Amino acid sequence: MFRVALKDILARKRRLVTTGLAILLGIAFLTGTQMLSQTLKGSISAVFDDAYAGYDAVVRSPKEQDLGFGQRVHVPLPASTVDEVRSVAGVAAASGIVESANAKLIGADGKVASSSFGPPTIIYNWQEERLLRTGKVTEGREPKADNEMVLDFGSAAKAGYRVGDKVKITANSGTQTFKLVGLVGLGTDGKTPTGATTLIFPTAVAQELADLTGKFNYIAVAGDEGLSQEALASAIAGARPELQVLTGAEFAKENADSVGQVIDILATFVTVFGYIALFVAAFIIYNTFSILVAQRTRETALLRAVGAHRRQIVLANLIEAAFVGFVASILGLLVGTGLASVLRRGVSAIFSMSTSQTLPGVNNITTALGVGVGVTVISSFVPSYKASRVPPIAALSEATLDRGIVSFKRIVVGSGVLLVGAALAVAGFAELGPNPLLIFGAGAALVLIAVSLVLAPIIVGPAIRFLGLFSPWRRSVVSRLSRANAIRNPRRTASTAAALTIGVTLVTLIAIIASSIKASVSDAATEAIKADFIVSVDTFSLGSGIPPETVKEIQALDSVAVASPMRFGPVRITDAYARKHAASSSSDDTGQLGVGATSDAPPGEDTLISGIDPKTAFESVNFGKISGNPADFVDGTLAVSKVFAEERGWKLGDEIPLYFAQTGEQKLRVAFFYTNFIGSASFHIPIETFNKNMLKMFDVDYLLTVQAKDGVPLAQVRKELDSAVKDLPTVTVQDLGEYVKSQTAPFDTFLAIVYALLMLAVIIALIGIANTLSLSILERTRELGLLRAVGMSKRQLRRSVFAESVLISVFGTAIGLVLGLVFSAAISTVIAADNPDIFQYTVPVPTLVVVVIGAMFAGVLAAVVPAWRTAKMQVLEAVSAL
Amino acid sequence: MSQTSIDTAAAGAIDAVKIYGEDDTEVRALDGVTVSFERGRFTAIMGPSGSGKSTLMHCLAGLDTLTSGRVFIADTYLDTLSESQLTEMRRDQIGFVFQAFNLIPTLSALENITLPMDLAGRKPDQDWLDQVVDILGLRPRLTHRPSELSGGQQQRVAVARALATQPQIVFADEPTGNLDSRSGTDLLEFMRHAVDDLGQTIVMVTHDPTAAAHADRVVFLADGQIRDEMIEPTAERVLDLMKQLGD
Repeated sequence: MFRVALKDILARKRRLVTTGLAILLGIAFLTGTQMLSQTLKGSISAVFDDAYAGYDAVVRSPKEQDLGFGQRVHVPLPASTVDEVRSVAGVAAASGIVESANAKLIGADGKVASSSFGPPTIIYNWQEERLLRTGKVTEGREPKADNEMVLDFGSAAKAGYRVGDKVKITANSGTQTFKLVGLVGLGTDGKTPTGATTLIFPTAVAQELADLTGKFNYIAVAGDEGLSQEALASAIAGARPELQVLTGAEFAKENADSVGQVIDILATFVTVFGYIALFVAAFIIYNTFSILVAQRTRETALLRAVGAHRRQIVLANLIEAAFVGFVASILGLLVGTGLASVLRRGVSAIFSMSTSQTLPGVNNITTALGVGVGVTVISSFVPSYKASRVPPIAALSEATLDRGIVSFKRIVVGSGVLLVGAALAVAGFAELGPNPLLIFGAGAALVLIAVSLVLAPIIVGPAIRFLGLFSPWRRSVVSRLSRANAIRNPRRTASTAAALTIGVTLVTLIAIIASSIKASVSDAATEAIKADFIVSVDTFSLGSGIPPETVKEIQALDSVAVASPMRFGPVRITDAYARKHAASSSSDDTGQLGVGATSDAPPGEDTLISGIDPKTAFESVNFGKISGNPADFVDGTLAVSKVFAEERGWKLGDEIPLYFAQTGEQKLRVAFFYTNFIGSASFHIPIETFNKNMLKMFDVDYLLTVQAKDGVPLAQVRKELDSAVKDLPTVTVQDLGEYVKSQTAPFDTFLAIVYALLMLAVIIALIGIANTLSLSILERTRELGLLRAVGMSKRQLRRSVFAESVLISVFGTAIGLVLGLVFSAAISTVIAADNPDIFQYTVPVPTLVVVVIGAMFAGVLAAVVPAWRTAKMQVLEAVSAL
Repeated sequence: MSQTSIDTAAAGAIDAVKIYGEDDTEVRALDGVTVSFERGRFTAIMGPSGSGKSTLMHCLAGLDTLTSGRVFIADTYLDTLSESQLTEMRRDQIGFVFQAFNLIPTLSALENITLPMDLAGRKPDQDWLDQVVDILGLRPRLTHRPSELSGGQQQRVAVARALATQPQIVFADEPTGNLDSRSGTDLLEFMRHAVDDLGQTIVMVTHDPTAAAHADRVVFLADGQIRDEMIEPTAERVLDLMKQLGD
C-alpha cells in the first residue's frame, strides 16, 4: 500500500506541490517566529550577562511598583546605604548604580535619536570602582567634569556623534549640552554592542538627570576572591535584612526575563497569525485531497476490486498526505530558518546588538513536523475515509463525478458544529475557562468551518447567479459558462472560497472594531477635553515629561487663561475585588528572586492612574455627568468613572486601599463619579496626593491642556507656546484635533501590522483557489477541448477561467464580510455594555470597499497560472481525450 | 482518383503527409493523401485502426497540422491562417460531431446548439435554426440539460450544433460509435436528411460498414494512403472491399 501511495504522489506531484506550498508557508512563518524569538532571547541574555559581568551581588529596596510587561521600578536607596553595604564582611567593592530611563538623546540633526519602538535609552553613572565597571572605553576617556559624558559606540554612530562633539540630552529638567569625551562597548575589548542607548555621566550629574539626587537605583557589589555569589548575597542579607539582595547571575536573569517576556508576548501575537494561515491551509488540503479522491475514483475502485481493504485505501491516502506534509514541513523549516536569519539581522541593526546565528533546534523541528504533518493528515482524513467508501463496482461503471450536493446529514452535523462553535466563541469572549483566547479562537474556527462547509454550499448557487448580475458581460456565453462552472460542484466552490473567507472575516472584524474604537476614542477625547491646545511629550514613556520650568513658563503666559497639567503613574489597587482578580489571573512570581526582604506589596491589580490639578481640571476637562460633589476632590481622594467603580462596587465616600511603592498602602476616599472617557488612566487623584505617594520619577507632567484667554488670537497663543518649547525636541504643541489624531496614530500602525500579517493567510487562500481551479480544469479537459474545437478562442477560454476565479473570490469575500459584520456586532455589543455612551459601532465603508476590490484582483491573480495552462492545452490532445 | 479542385470542393487535402516521432520511432500516419470532398454530399472515410483516418480528419479540421502538403476548407488553405483565424474558421465554417462527450454539461440543449454563434457574439439565423431543430426532432428537448437526454438525443443535439452555423463542412468522428443500433440508424437518417434537404456537406469517419452505407461515397484508407473509393455504397459491398483491403 505504501508503494501505491508513493507512486500516486509521483504521478500527481504538480497537484501536490501547491498543497505543500500552503503548508510550507505556514510552517516557515511559525518556525521563523519561534526561532527568531529564541535567538533574540538568547542574545539579550548574553547582553545582560556581559553588562553585569562584574556584579557578584545586587542590593536594592524591596519596595517596587509594577509598570506592566514585567517591568518594575524599585524605590531608590540613599547614598549612605552604599557605605553600609561596603562594610559588610566579604564585600570587596560596592558601588551605587544610577540606571534610569527618563532621558532622551538628541541626534546631531536636532531630532530625538531615541525612539519609543527601538532600544531603550538609559542613563548610567560612571563607575569609579574598577571591579564593578562594565565594558570598556574604546575611544577617548571616561567622563570627569560635570559637562562631560560617554556614549555607547553604536548609538554615537547612529546619532552622528564623534568624540569631542557637543551632545544634547533632554531629561525632565530640560535640555542640556554635554561634551562627548569617550565611547564604550560591552565585553573585555569593548567591541560588543550594548543593545541600548547608553548615556554615562559622572555620578552627581547622572543622579541629577535621573531625579535621584543623593540616591541610587541599586547597589552593585563585588565579593572577596573565592566567595561564591550566593554566600556573598546571604552575608549581605544577614547584615541588612531590610534590603533585597540578588546574586549577580539572578540579577542578569531577571533583566533578561523581563525583556524575554515582552518578546514572548510579541512572538505569541505573531504566532497567532501563523496558526490562522495553517487553518486556511487546512481547508486547501481538505479540498485538494477531496478533488484528488474524486478524480481517482476508478483507480480506487480497481484497487478495491483486486482485493484492497478499506483500511488500506484510507492508509494509502493518509500516507500520501503525511508524505506531502513531511516534505512541506521540512522545506518550511528551512525557509523559516532563512526568514529568522534575515529578520535577526534587521533586529541587530535596529538595536545595535550582536545576535547569534539562527539554527533550528529540536523544538523547532518538533513544531514543524508535528504541526505540519498533523495539519495535513487531519485535514485529509475525511477525504481519505470517503475514498474507502468507493465500491469496487465503480471500476466497471462510468465514473460518476461527485456533484457535491449537500446532504441532510451534513446539514444536521453542520448546524451542530455551528452551535457548539458559537457557544465556545461566546464563552471565550466572556473570559470563561483557563484560556479564553484559545476557546474563542476554537469557537470562531468551528463557526467558520460550519458556515463554509454547510451553509456556503447551499447558498453558493443563488449567490453566484446573483453576483453574475453585476458582471458587465453577464449575457455572454463565456460569462454564463464561468458562472455555471463555479456552481457545478457547490461543496468544492464553497470550501475553496472558505480559505479566502477566513482572511476577509478577520480583516473585516478587525477593521470594524478598530474604526469603532478609534471613533469612540476620538469622540470621547474631543468631548472630554476642553482645550485650545495640548502641550505634550510626543514619545510616551513613563519617566520623561515636560520640564517644570516650561510648565511654569506656559502657565505664566499672558495669552493663556488656564494650563492644567496631567501626570501618570502606576498604582496597585488592593481592595478585595482586585485581590480576587490578582489571585485568579496573575502568574506573577513577585519576590521569588534573591534573599533578604521581599516586597511588602499586597496582592492586587496594577493600573495606571493620573494626577490632575483640582483647581484647574474642571475648566479643562469635561467629566460629563458628575455624581458626588466635585468640591470633595481634595488631597486624599480620587475621582473615578462610574463604570469602573460600579464594576468594583465602589460607592461615594468609600475608602479604597491603594499600594504605592514610595509610601506603601494608602486609603483614598471616592470623591465623585463621572461618565465621560478621560484618557487611559483608570482614575484620577489630585496632583498633591500624586506627588506625595508616587516615586519621584513619575512626578513629571506629560501634558498640559491649554486654554487661551478670551480675545487673544489662537495663532498668537500657538506661537508663544511653540517658542516656550522650542528647545525641547520631545515636547510638541498641538490643537485638540491634531492631538486626538496623534493619539490614535499608533492604532493605525498596529492595524497596518495586523493586515500585513493577515496577508499570509490571504496568499495561502489564493494558492488554494489557483489549485482548485487547476484541478477542476484538468477534470474538464474534454469539455475544454470541445469548446476549443467548436470555436472558443484562447482568449475566451482564459477569460472564462478568470471570471470563474473572480466569482469564487468575491463569493468568499462576501461571506467573509457578512461573518465579519456579525462577529464585530457581537463583540461590539459586549464592549458597548462595558462602555455605555462611549462605544460607537462604526463600519469603515471605504476599507471594506477596498477589501472587495482587492478580492476581485486576488481572484484574477489566482487565475493567472490556471488560465495560462488552460490556454496552453493542445486542442488536439483535449479532443483526443473525447 | 478524382481530380482535386479547390473551386467545387468544400474541403480537401493535397499530398498530405503527417509524420509522428523521429528516426526509428517514425510513424507515417498520412503518407501522401490527396482527396477532396464535394459540396452537398455525404462522404464516409473508412479504414482499419491506425489507417490514418482520424489524423486525416483532424488535419482537415485544423485541429492538427501536416508535416507537408496542404489542406483547405472552401477557398482557404489552412496553413495560411493564424491561430485565432483558425479558431474562427472552426467556429464559423466547420461543424464537429464527436463520438461522445459532445455537449457542455452546464448548458441546455439549445445553448449547446447556439454555442458557436454565442462565442462569436452573433445571433443565430432563426429560420435555419428552426429547420435544423425540426429535422432532428429536438423541439421538445431544447431546455433539457445533456444529463437529461438519451445518448441518441445527445448526438442529435451535437449534429444540430454542427449544422447551426451553416458551415462549409461538418466533420463527424464515429458519431454512432457509442449508440445502440436503433439510435445509430436514426442519427444517420437525420444526417442524411441534413445533406438532402438542407444541402449540407458531411464527412464522417467510421469503421462500421452499415454506417458507411448511408453515405454518397466512401473513401478507403490504409497505412496512411487512400486505397480505394466507392460511390453509392451498400453495406455488403463495403464489407467486401474492407475484407479485400485487410488481406
